[in-house]
Parts: sequence; C-alpha cells; structure tokens
Amino acid sequence: MLEIRNLCKYFGGIKAVDGASFEVERGSITALIGPNGAGKTTAFNCISRTLAPTSGEVWLDGERIDHLRPHKITAKGLSRTFQISRNLADMTVIENVIVQSRVEGLAGLFRPAISPQEKDKALGILDFLGITRIAYEDGHNLSYGQKKLMDLAALLMSDPKIILLDEPAGGVNPSLMEEIVGHIRALNAGGLTVLIVEHNMELIMRLSHKVVVMAQGRVICQGTPDIVRRDPAVLEAYLGGVLEAEAA
Amino acid sequence: MAATLHTPDAGAVLAARKAHDEKLAKRADQTRATWFPVTVLAVLLALPLLQFTGNYNYLLHLVLFTASYVVMAAGWNILGGFAGYVSLGHAVFFAIGGYFSGVLLARFGISTLLTAPLAGLLAAVCGYLIGLITLKVRGPSFIISSIALLMIARILFDHWTFIGGANGLALPINDLPVLWAKLPYYYAFILMAAFTVWATYRIKHSKLGLGLRALSKDEIKAESAGIDTRFYKVVAFALSAFFVGMAGAVWGEYLTYLRPNIFLIILVSANLVLMCILGGKGTIAGPAIGAILIVGINELFVATMGASELNLFGTGLVMAVALMFFPLGVVGTLARKGKLPRILNWD
Repeated sequence: MLEIRNLCKYFGGIKAVDGASFEVERGSITALIGPNGAGKTTAFNCISRTLAPTSGEVWLDGERIDHLRPHKITAKGLSRTFQISRNLADMTVIENVIVQSRVEGLAGLFRPAISPQEKDKALGILDFLGITRIAYEDGHNLSYGQKKLMDLAALLMSDPKIILLDEPAGGVNPSLMEEIVGHIRALNAGGLTVLIVEHNMELIMRLSHKVVVMAQGRVICQGTPDIVRRDPAVLEAYLGGVLEAEAA
Repeated sequence: MAATLHTPDAGAVLAARKAHDEKLAKRADQTRATWFPVTVLAVLLALPLLQFTGNYNYLLHLVLFTASYVVMAAGWNILGGFAGYVSLGHAVFFAIGGYFSGVLLARFGISTLLTAPLAGLLAAVCGYLIGLITLKVRGPSFIISSIALLMIARILFDHWTFIGGANGLALPINDLPVLWAKLPYYYAFILMAAFTVWATYRIKHSKLGLGLRALSKDEIKAESAGIDTRFYKVVAFALSAFFVGMAGAVWGEYLTYLRPNIFLIILVSANLVLMCILGGKGTIAGPAIGAILIVGINELFVATMGASELNLFGTGLVMAVALMFFPLGVVGTLARKGKLPRILNWD
C-alpha cells in the first residue's frame, strides 16, 4: 500500500535518511524502530512531505506522492501525528478535530466552519476514543495524554486509509498507553493501515505485524517481530541490550 | 474503518451534541449582545439629522473618518488577525482603489460610490497575485516584503503620468450644499463599515476562518491537517485587499484629489496594524474599537496640543500604556479574562 524506495534526506553533510526502502502492507500495523538519530522521524516527515526528501520515491496505492504538498497527501488518505503534540491552542478540541475535515474548492471555504454532520462525525470519533467530555475544552487546557488522543481523533476526521503515528504512547502513563494500544488495534481491525514510530519495544513487539529497523539513516532489517528480534544486525545495532535484559 | 468510526453509541453522540448546543446557546445568550452594534448602526444612520439643527460637519467628518478606518482595519484583520500575517503594505490597496475609481470619476464622471465595489475587486485581484509571491514567507520576512511592496508602488505611482504622477490628480467636487456635501460619503463609509464587520464575522465562522486560525497557530500542522495553506492565505489576502480598496475608492472622491503621498504612506498601513493590535487582533469588534480609540485619542491630542510632534507622542504613550494592561488588545484581553462586556462580544 505504502512503498518507500531509496529515500534520502541530507542536511548538509548529515545523512539523516540514507537510501531507506521498505513497504507497508495494506491492513497491517508496521512499526518503524531504531535508536535515537536513526532517521525514523525524518523518514516520517519525508513520507508526509513535511520535509522535502533529497531523493527517493514514496508511493501510495500505486501513485507517486513524494512531489505532492502535505495537504494533498492527506487528501490521498495518508494522515500523520507529530512526536510532540501540535494541537492548535485557542481552539477547542472539536475545532481541532473538525479542522481536519475536507474542504472542496473556493465555494467550500465559505461554508459554515462546523456543519451538523461534521459535528456528529467528530463527536462520534471522540466518543470512540472516550474523550467526548473534553470536546469543548480549549486545546491548551488538555493533559499530554489527552492531546495524544485528540491528535488521533483529528486524523480520523479525514477518513484516512493509512495513519502515521509518531510515538503515540510517548510520555503517557501505562493505563492510557493500553487505551491507545486498544484504539490502534480497533482501528486496524476496522481496516485502517498503521505505520508507527515508537520507542517502547514491548509495545511494538506485541502490536506490530511487521517491524522495520533503521540505524544511521538506513534500513538494516525488516520482517515480523520474531525475525527482527533474532536478527544479529538488529541485536548489535539496537535491540541487544533490551532483549538481553528481557531474557534475563 | 469507516464502519468502526461511524457507528458509535448513537444515543451518546446525540446526547453530547444536544448538551453542547444547549451549552453554546446559553453561553451565547449570556455573553453576546448583537443588539448593541445594530443600535449603534441605527444611531449613526440617523446622526446626519443633526444637520437640521446646525452645522455638524466636523462631527460627521470624524465619524466618517473613523468608519473608513473601521472598513480598512477590519479588512486588514482578515489577513493580519485571522491568519497572523502582519502586512505593512496595505496602503497599496488603498491607493489602487482610490486611483481606479478616481480616474474613472475624473475621466468619465462616474461616481466612486458606484465604482467602489469594482475598485475593491481590482484590489482583491492585485492582492491575490501579490499574495502568491509574498506569502511564501512569514514573520519578519513577510513584513519586510510588504514594506517593499509599498515602496515599489510609491515609485510606480510617482512616475505614472496617466494618473498624474507625483503631482496627483484633481477630482470633481460634488455640487451639494456645504451642509449636505459630506452625506454621500458618510453613508457610504457607514454602510461599508457595517458590511465589512458583518463579512469578517461570516469569514471567521466559515471553513476559511477556521483554517486561517489553524494556520496562524501552526502552519505545518495545518498543512498536515489537509489545509491548502497557500490557497487559504492568498484568498485571505485578496479579501483583505478588497475592503481596503473599496475604502480607498470613496476616500479619493471625498478628498477631491489623489496624490501618492496621501495614499502610499506607511502611516496608513501602520494605523491599521495599531488599530487591530489595540482593539484586539483576530476579534470581530477589535478593529472597530481600535479605530474609534486611535482616531479619538489622536483627535483629542491634536485639539489640545495642536498638530505638533507632541500629539504623536501623546498618542504613542497612550498606546504603550494601553498595551501594558491589554496585551491582546482591549477586546482580546477582556475576552481571555472572561471580562468582556456583552456589548463588545461580536465574535
């Protein structure tokens, strides 16, 4: 469904992403992992075109999208969250969610900001995520975990085919993390494809169908969690310490 | 996935929506007082009746002058307040409107009151095209580009002989008696001000307004949310230019002459910025309150200190002190503190 071919992003002499290639199969939960500085978030930024890649190709459902602007990529069905929640302060949660609904053409700009249908849909999503009660709170009044859930709600408003989650459980308490995992599983069961960057190895190993491991801007291994867990290159580059600790 | 999302507990959704609607209705009822601007408009429309009791031309001029700034500041607010792009070049659209309608008046005798909407459209087209270039940058770079626009336009208008160059262009004076000569322009500006405030309210509560608010907070996030930020910004620029251009058209005929050093000065643009900052950038009532305060304060100091450097000092001092206590502008700060009087809540 999503194919990344030889993706490169250089910042001067620094090769943040250096020829990364991997594929995300339709209906899967694919994890992108790697040590700090491996290039995961930069790869995310290039896929969603928040950053222009230096070279390489990104294909979504057989269509090349790496030359498109971010809003067009979102319209094609690829939506993303950010590592640090970028909610729009001074806007309510429901506005933060509805702002992600599609607007067609010049005439569409002058439609009411929130239609009854959009309001129902947004409330439905917030209800699904269990945060209906904060629908009318200002974005800046939310806790970190609530912001994460709001980000997820906003993604869903645009009816995506694939969502890119950048550390969705980062910095949240274990109980909320389980809640988020449950939501991701439920969405995936409903047919949504998920690409996820996360540092929590335990979470990644039990949630993902496929794991792509990056180190120094390159993909060093990809496969099922079991394959990745046993790969010597991964053990050496990144996972060794964690897995050894788990084994002990 | 859609099935998962769209079949939550329907009863809970409807209940939440109903509760919210009731909450909003209650809040609106408690805080908004639309009767106030409507009453102010009615009083202003009736104000010229004073002319039957004496000569109130000065008062009419002051109201007209303030209304012209309400039109322009409210227009500027679409780009500067909603989208967060501070332009110091909006005097260019003031000039485009003034010269377009002025030339039609001087050469074909068509009143600017008829051609003002066309002047606004021309300004909007120019705004759209200029926006395509200048809105690629933001922050200080955008501000500097807007000043550059003003300087380029000044050079162009100063040397364009067809429109009178630096010497300007005299326009015909209407043949109404002195007591009533201001009335066409007075009503034009009052109605334009009312229309502009209403239009900015509609824009703020539209998809465009929501998108502009989003991109003013975080443009990268807004673009990722599916908003075509470039398109939204240029549309905002064009709309903003439309209102300023329309005001320029009528202002030219009111002055009876057009000169680049009247229209193409940074003071005009700076006034729009200051009015919105003082009143409350991004609010509906803010530009109107800012225009009333700045015109009023300036007039007070001119009357008491004369048109000297002192009056400018006085106005600047009042502004500085006001912004110490109202950092988000009068309306913005009071709204943030939950102390906005109902009569000023037009949002």
